[in-house]
Amino acid sequence: MTDNDGSRDAVVIERSFDAPVGLIWQMWTDPHHFKAWYGPNGATVPVAKMDVRVGGTRLVCMEMQTPDGAMQMWFTGEYREVVENQRLVYTESMSDENGNVLSPSDIGMPDGHPVTTEVSVELEDIDGRTKMVMTHAGIPGESPGAAGWAMALDKLAAYAGAHSER
Amino acid sequence: MTIAIDEDRLSETFAALANSTRRAILARLAEGAATVNELAEPFEMRLPAVSKHIKVLERAGLVVRGQRAQYRPCALDATPLEAISTWAEQYRPVWETRFDRMDDYLTQLQGPRRAKRTR
Repeated sequence: MTDNDGSRDAVVIERSFDAPVGLIWQMWTDPHHFKAWYGPNGATVPVAKMDVRVGGTRLVCMEMQTPDGAMQMWFTGEYREVVENQRLVYTESMSDENGNVLSPSDIGMPDGHPVTTEVSVELEDIDGRTKMVMTHAGIPGESPGAAGWAMALDKLAAYAGAHSER
Repeated sequence: MTIAIDEDRLSETFAALANSTRRAILARLAEGAATVNELAEPFEMRLPAVSKHIKVLERAGLVVRGQRAQYRPCALDATPLEAISTWAEQYRPVWETRFDRMDDYLTQLQGPRRAKRTR
């Protein structure tokens, strides 16, 4: 699958890095490394607490400098799948600094943004390099099984793409 | 970047999709239109129960019913699914930039590794 077809319900990005899988795993799970790359342009990540085990929580703060001073955004979530060097799945919701979940509209995020999203990272060693597939998808609040939902949507999204010229 | 989305409609779409039977119905319809009887076949469920699921999907705009009185075949309308993509697509450039930075950072960390290897 390429970046731009299929999975229109989610962002799917595939990248290849000239680094061993163990190091890419640390990029996601070691706060020191995570802080180095995660912040969007112009932002820093002053806080990254990660209890990387299934059911463990995470709390990440992004800080942006604005004309009105520093603006902080907090994100919390839970690790759902942790298979070292292979697969990491965690949820993400906007929160306050104590990890209390906020609704997206409270902090001016776009309408229609799901309250909770899920990030999954798949890593594969290819002769010492690493292929990484990152999927960032929305989760309907009522559904405990996001995987089945995502699969069904993939199929439907492919259909939508194929029939969009109707 | 701002994309206007009808939030209520989006919630309705998510709610409609948050049920395995309805997702299965949609997956079946992705292969082509079907009557309610045909849709009910794979499920151990009475017709009225299946009809109820189809009504939810209709309200969410995911299913349209034909007008032929006897059969009223159901068909998939994927338009609401395209709306779901819009919030996600806003994140693509954010992630792309992040991974560019991850790449730069890896180069810093590993130093000569890249230079020694052929790509």
